[in-house]
Amino acid sequence: MSRVIRTTVLIVLGLVWLLPVYLLLINASKAPEGFTSKESWIPTDFSLFSNIGDAMRLSGLGESVLSTLVYAVVSPTIAVLVGAAAGFAIVALRLRHGFAWFVLIFGGTVFPIQMIILPLFDAYSRVSLFDTRLGMIIVYTAISIPFSAFVMRNFFTGIGHNVFEAAVLDGASTWRIFTRVYLPMASSALVAIFILQATFIWNDLLLGLTLSQSDDVRPIVTSLAGMQSTYGGAQMATVLAGGLLVSLPTVVLFLFTQKFFARGLALGQ
Amino acid sequence: MTSDKTPTVKAARRRDTYRWSARGFIAPSVLLVAVLLYLPLLWTTFLSFTDYNGLGDPEWIGLENYAEMFDDPQFMGSVLNTLLWVGGTLLIPVGIGLGVALLTWNLKGGIWLRLPFLIPYALSGIGVAVIWSFILGSDGALDQALGAFGIADTPRWLVDSPLNTVVMIIAIAWQGVGVNALLFTIGLQSIPKEPLEAAKLDGATGLRLFRSILWPMLRPLTAVVVGLSIVASLKTFDIVQGMTKGGPGRSSETLALTMYKETFVNSEYGLGSAIAVFLTVVTLAAAILYLRQQLSSKHEG
Repeated sequence: MSRVIRTTVLIVLGLVWLLPVYLLLINASKAPEGFTSKESWIPTDFSLFSNIGDAMRLSGLGESVLSTLVYAVVSPTIAVLVGAAAGFAIVALRLRHGFAWFVLIFGGTVFPIQMIILPLFDAYSRVSLFDTRLGMIIVYTAISIPFSAFVMRNFFTGIGHNVFEAAVLDGASTWRIFTRVYLPMASSALVAIFILQATFIWNDLLLGLTLSQSDDVRPIVTSLAGMQSTYGGAQMATVLAGGLLVSLPTVVLFLFTQKFFARGLALGQ
Repeated sequence: MTSDKTPTVKAARRRDTYRWSARGFIAPSVLLVAVLLYLPLLWTTFLSFTDYNGLGDPEWIGLENYAEMFDDPQFMGSVLNTLLWVGGTLLIPVGIGLGVALLTWNLKGGIWLRLPFLIPYALSGIGVAVIWSFILGSDGALDQALGAFGIADTPRWLVDSPLNTVVMIIAIAWQGVGVNALLFTIGLQSIPKEPLEAAKLDGATGLRLFRSILWPMLRPLTAVVVGLSIVASLKTFDIVQGMTKGGPGRSSETLALTMYKETFVNSEYGLGSAIAVFLTVVTLAAAILYLRQQLSSKHEG
């Protein structure tokens, strides 16, 4: 096919793809007072920022933003380090039956989350972790570890074992070799895993739905879902503004780091 | 661990030196995964053989939950919907993604032309649901657009079944095309130049080039993309929860949604667990096929 035809097809298809984004932007910008669902395609006014402000107050979205930020930073950070430690034990320290341990850890992501939410809900209620930030951080951390261990094991396999032996000859302890030699070498992989897991946590609905209920613990997507079903009819502009607010961070992050994402997906998440 | 097959005394001693520290380094991962993922997994499996509503003790009833599950026409409906999701998401997002990748391949400005498809990818399922509920609602943006062309008698997109599942698949396709295009683009870029040049010299273009060179070379990657798509679509939850909540009635429920409703709305812990086990078995079967492909393609490389 000629270049002109290919480009034209792509431009037309691309414009179609942008239509929902256009609709989101103009309708999230309409003032709630004059909002009519009859004229969705025509922009009227620009009240986006006051709509976002309203959205923050509705359904506790504002409180959710803060907690979700904590979850999306703390949990992947811990998971990345813990997963790297597992990879280090298997590859550099040549843990006995290392591959079996690796399969055990990685197996943790293979089954659907549906398989664990009920016991987690039950257990969390019993040990008073239900509806707490700590509880959410723990579960998000655990669920991010398998992928992190998977990537880090692969990454460390690429580092020659003589690196480890040289460090041993210098008299470094294993802890020191891990923190001063292996972790710094892996910084790009660590960042890639962090970004992927932070996005996953930011976009989580199911764990938020089952393990939290109050505004200041509930993750942001769960709050948005609640807001949509409560105010979806009456305050459409506000709900759309909320949707925009929730989506912006991950979309921007993704567009800047596409290659990390593609690599992560190809690696098997 | 091929180098360990004939361990020298020295290597064995060295490994012994690090035995405890290796255990220390892997312990946090194993502990967290065991307590928060595997223990609940086992407990759900156990509960699926019991009658339990969260109060008192679970009562062993054998396979009754499974029998009830397969007898329930609603459950079979949600199995059918889930299959529709699996098929639909293979056809639309994977298919169009491949199309976009082929169209942008070796095209000047291809990166920019791919961008519109990538924007929706990082949206949450609920984000997609918020936008598309607005578009597809009665007298929503789509109906207005069709009305402008004189089509007034539009179907009730999110009400009529199975149309509601189909339009939700389209919403997910809108989100998923970009990343599939990105993966196929990476695959296309990694195809060696020589056979391509040779085929072009032989006069192969368009469909012939695709069928004889590109498609066979993309096979391993296609298997990965297809595997990912199947596993993800089997677990479809967020978008349906956000757009129809499985309704009207239970007409658009997927397995993941039925599990959630039976468990957390109806407090049928045993039945909900049985559905979770069923979903897991199906997903695992799909994942094993996918992993096997991954491992075998790694051996070749």
